[in-house]
Amino acid sequence: MSRTIVKVGMASCGIAAGGGPVFDKLHSLLDGRDDVEVKKVGCIGFCYKEPLVEIEKDGVCVTYGEVDSALAEEIVEKHIDQGQILKEHVVLNNSAEAPENPRLENQVRIVLRNTGLIDPENIDEYIAREGYRGLEKALKEMTPMQVIQEILDSGLRGRGGAGFPTGLKWKFAHLAKADKKYFVCNADEGDPGAFMDRSVLEGDPHSVLEGMAVGAYAIGADEGIIYCRAEYPLAIKHLNRALEQARERGFLGDNIMGTGFSFDIHIKEGAGAFVCGEETAMIASIEGKRGMPRPRPPFPANSGIFGKPTNINNVETLANIPWIITHGSGEFSKYGIGKSRGTKVFALAGKINKGGLAEVPMGMPLRDVIFDVAGGIPNNRKFKAVQLGGPSGGCLPEELLDTPVDYESINATGAIMGSGGMVVMDETTCIVDVAKFFLSFVQKESCGKCPFCRIGTKRMLEILERISEGNGSHEDLDLLAELAVQIKDGSLCGLGQTAPNPVLTTLKYFKEEYLAHIDDKKCPAKVCTTLIHYSIDPEKCIGCTKCARNCPVDAITGEVKKLHVINDDICVRCGKCIEVCPVGAVTVE
Amino acid sequence: MSEINLIIDGKECKGASGDTILQVAQKNDVYIPTLCYLKGLTPIGSCRMCVVEVEGNAKLLTSCTTPAQDGMVVNTKTQKLFNYRKQILELLFAGRNHFCMFCSQSGDCELQTLAIEHGMDSVRYPYLYHDFENDATSEDLQMDHNRCILCGRCIRVCAEKVGAHTLDLEKRGWSANIITDLGSKLGDSETCVHCGACAQVCPTGTITIRDFVYRGRRNDCDDVVESICPLCSLGCEIKGYVRTGSLTRVEGSNLEGPDGGQLCHKGRWWLPESTERERLSVPMIREGSTFREASWEEALGLAASKMKDACQKGKAGAIVSGLSTDEELSVFHSVFKDTLDLKYFDCFIGDILRGFKKGFEPFVEQGVKPFTAAHNITSSDLVLILDADPQDEVPVTASYIRVNTIINGGKLANISSATNPFKGITDVDIKVSPEKMFNVITALVKAVSENEPIEVSGVDKTALEELAGMLKEANRPVFIFGGNFASDAKAVTQATNLAIASGSIFEDGLGIVPMVRHANSLAAINTVVGEEPWIGKADIDCLYVSSTGLIPEDSQSLEAMSMARFCIIHTPYMVHPLVNMADVLIPSPAWYERSGHFCTIEGERRKLNTMVKPQLNLKGLGEIFSTLTEKMGVKLNRSEVQPCENIFNSTVPADKACQVAVEEV
Repeated sequence: MSRTIVKVGMASCGIAAGGGPVFDKLHSLLDGRDDVEVKKVGCIGFCYKEPLVEIEKDGVCVTYGEVDSALAEEIVEKHIDQGQILKEHVVLNNSAEAPENPRLENQVRIVLRNTGLIDPENIDEYIAREGYRGLEKALKEMTPMQVIQEILDSGLRGRGGAGFPTGLKWKFAHLAKADKKYFVCNADEGDPGAFMDRSVLEGDPHSVLEGMAVGAYAIGADEGIIYCRAEYPLAIKHLNRALEQARERGFLGDNIMGTGFSFDIHIKEGAGAFVCGEETAMIASIEGKRGMPRPRPPFPANSGIFGKPTNINNVETLANIPWIITHGSGEFSKYGIGKSRGTKVFALAGKINKGGLAEVPMGMPLRDVIFDVAGGIPNNRKFKAVQLGGPSGGCLPEELLDTPVDYESINATGAIMGSGGMVVMDETTCIVDVAKFFLSFVQKESCGKCPFCRIGTKRMLEILERISEGNGSHEDLDLLAELAVQIKDGSLCGLGQTAPNPVLTTLKYFKEEYLAHIDDKKCPAKVCTTLIHYSIDPEKCIGCTKCARNCPVDAITGEVKKLHVINDDICVRCGKCIEVCPVGAVTVE
Repeated sequence: MSEINLIIDGKECKGASGDTILQVAQKNDVYIPTLCYLKGLTPIGSCRMCVVEVEGNAKLLTSCTTPAQDGMVVNTKTQKLFNYRKQILELLFAGRNHFCMFCSQSGDCELQTLAIEHGMDSVRYPYLYHDFENDATSEDLQMDHNRCILCGRCIRVCAEKVGAHTLDLEKRGWSANIITDLGSKLGDSETCVHCGACAQVCPTGTITIRDFVYRGRRNDCDDVVESICPLCSLGCEIKGYVRTGSLTRVEGSNLEGPDGGQLCHKGRWWLPESTERERLSVPMIREGSTFREASWEEALGLAASKMKDACQKGKAGAIVSGLSTDEELSVFHSVFKDTLDLKYFDCFIGDILRGFKKGFEPFVEQGVKPFTAAHNITSSDLVLILDADPQDEVPVTASYIRVNTIINGGKLANISSATNPFKGITDVDIKVSPEKMFNVITALVKAVSENEPIEVSGVDKTALEELAGMLKEANRPVFIFGGNFASDAKAVTQATNLAIASGSIFEDGLGIVPMVRHANSLAAINTVVGEEPWIGKADIDCLYVSSTGLIPEDSQSLEAMSMARFCIIHTPYMVHPLVNMADVLIPSPAWYERSGHFCTIEGERRKLNTMVKPQLNLKGLGEIFSTLTEKMGVKLNRSEVQPCENIFNSTVPADKACQVAVEEV
């Protein structure tokens, strides 16, 4: 009888959901048993069901969701010891139907081929799943130009957002003549709502290291740098462990696999500036300077870190590389449509049933991603908009849900593919409020270099604030649109150039909602606090005093068994009364 | 570099490959508004004012950073661009305090000028009235962040030209601001060298020079005169702004030169201040503890009779200033050497100049020029400082050293008896007592040229070995000889041997930069520096002293004056303690009233121009000395002196230089 393997999802999402105590529990129960092995794995993508525990017993893999210590005990007792599957807690099952099986079937997992399956701290598990086979093939069987051609043929484009062909980028760096070149991995994932890169780094760090080594061979670099945000401590821990192991096994360092190619990688921790994800700002930061973008040309491929040719690729892009080299460009370009080949990982968040990570083939319509993969909208609410590409992206309405997920189609809508953040909103989301949120983010994160971005985004935010307070005018809308276009065209870097996108797309697709705020002084989604008023329906109120007792500002008065009244001047629109009212007597207008 | 052709605003424009669009436009008199751009500094494309449209490119490009390409068709004046620029100005104006009527720079302000150009008569945004700090902690400079537009010129000039890197940006987004050091006040800064370069480049009223702030805007000035700074041997090129007979501000004018238009603290502040000081307007004669006014006739008559007597006894002396022009120095030479043949004739800090002169002599005899232009420091891979304090002696060279070390990545080593002037950025710092200095240099020469082991008792051996290794490895080392160090001619010779041993060869001579303070030191060495030191030693009956009053007299000279039985002081100012020493005071024109030539230490002749016409009843040197000699009954003998730029002229390239033997001390 083979050993039973217990895998506990211990990526950041798993830990946040309480995976730590579950792991401890399982470990304490099973420690010392020869027939069972307990290990930590990365994120499989069902973040909403964390903590997840997978039991691999006799060829059957069963994943349990929302496991707590009690359930862990039960799993050991019933499943591991008695072979009895606890059906009501099953999420995935490779031998029988399970609620989440279809979700996985909708996906094509190239980037996420290992995350959630292997122990990221054990290089052997990576090697067992074709790990470092791509590097070996590249080094031993291919010339650098052949590697570049393979990547060009695959159609792989930068997954960080801009979608520049990766092979072409490598070619430029390859052609640049210099005594020293750098190969950088951009792991400064900063979009609110995006966590694809973190999951890959936490769950499958070797795939990124291997991708970097292949790329370094292709361009002729001997030094690699992973620029990872310091807010990802687990990713950094796993990367460091992976670096040690890769060096021990000779996948990094001098004379790799005896081929004469030498390459090593070190980590540079970013101090948490959104703009440092922009490549020229990242270069400045790596050089030890303040992370601020500079104009291009010169392009990093010719003059990057310390003036040397530098190639920068995003985590997800790099995780694709080993697979492409191993399986061939044809296998990869099989997926996708038009000029967008392969897959894209999305971080699904917002008003959806199944938040988490999913990798879908390029070209899948947004509707399928949201309603099939992400499980649709909770509480039977109506879909309102989907925000793609974080603060640099845009909000798309229902009419555009059939847009296929590919660079060109999404750009045509005014949003961008971006790094893969996908935030879904339902009818309870105010679009002006959303625009305000993203703008307040970028105006805080602007590096301060150009007046358009530094002052312009602040001015846009002020206008949005005026509108959301009911003080906006039609002139404000005009000024907002004028500023947005000028900031987009006139800014130096990607941050400024895309900062107005959330406003531009919402103005384009949701103008009526802006007008409702301006003309009717109403917030249709009932979010903007100055435009809404709480009141208690005299017909329904039973005088239970719950609302009055829970009101944080004592705005509600009333005696037991008598009608309660909300004082609108004191009310802060926190919504607590709605929450606690047992009869739904509190209404918002 | 090949020629390229562009069409800018319909005009055919020629440029060179490598030019930016802005450079081509400027060469062809096409105006593009700029704000963060400044000639000589790295363009950063941050203000976005210079955006242009290039046909075939959908993006707006900053002309200051975009390389011009042959065949480009560029439009700089479309309505769209005009609106963009106006929007930027609007955003800037409403962002911070840009209420022109309360700003000292109103009228001189580039932001204001652009706003007027763009017809920006109102802003569509509410004023923010955010209170940024007004940092008035520095005695010299005021930095009112409320007027800042974050163009970053100050940051760049401070880092790229001055090498001090005192200023940078802090925070993000709307709160981004200029920061001093790591958040200290400007007045408490440990890195600021008080050169005022930041104030010179500031386009608005953010950084201002407190002393000159309300003394006249550039536009109000009656005259702007190009001249040179007479305060040290670099002879920095300056622009003087003159208003009602007074110099209201001085700016470095060589923006594209190696110094980038920077001045040092002395040039920036002392020069304008010098026009405000109390002048000596008429000749005066001592009467007990005070002076009485005298006629020129009487004063010169008294001076002549005292001088004549002293000459007869062989007890006459003269000390003149190395800040005098070439022409003035040759008059002194004619009078005191060729006519009176004084035994005691020298200039201030004569010992230092004599040390350099004698120390370099063996190499000059070989036909080699023993020093190089100071700006060559910035192309060196190792700078070795020998008992010098460049920030004090020749301040702009300190900028070159910092820039070379911090930005260009050159190494920096220091050997000194005092504190390391570049603490924190030196690779090797060796403390040596003055008496061991010569031995240390000798040991280094042997270690570098003969690979001998290096050891000097009481000196850090590891550091010496490291330094010897660095000198052997260096391709273009530069040696900075300090003034104190130079008073020992042997040490100068030995250190020059070290430069030769280390292969310190530059196109114009050996890679040595001597720290000579006085602007016309080369001419002084040529004409007035005596053979032997006598100041403070000789018994003097009558001492003639010519001072420019610009820099304080050294204590040794002052002592000599106090010991002389009769002192003729020739000076523009009523400066103490100099005037206290006088028995006769003879007024002279101040530096800004004179014209003539200075020779920089590199041997470049530069012109000092009259900035303000002499207002007083002053007499020139020629007139004074013809009267004086006439009254002494001698005929003024004017001899030819060789042009000072030739005295260290090279006849053979520096790589032909050979070491010379110096006897051990």
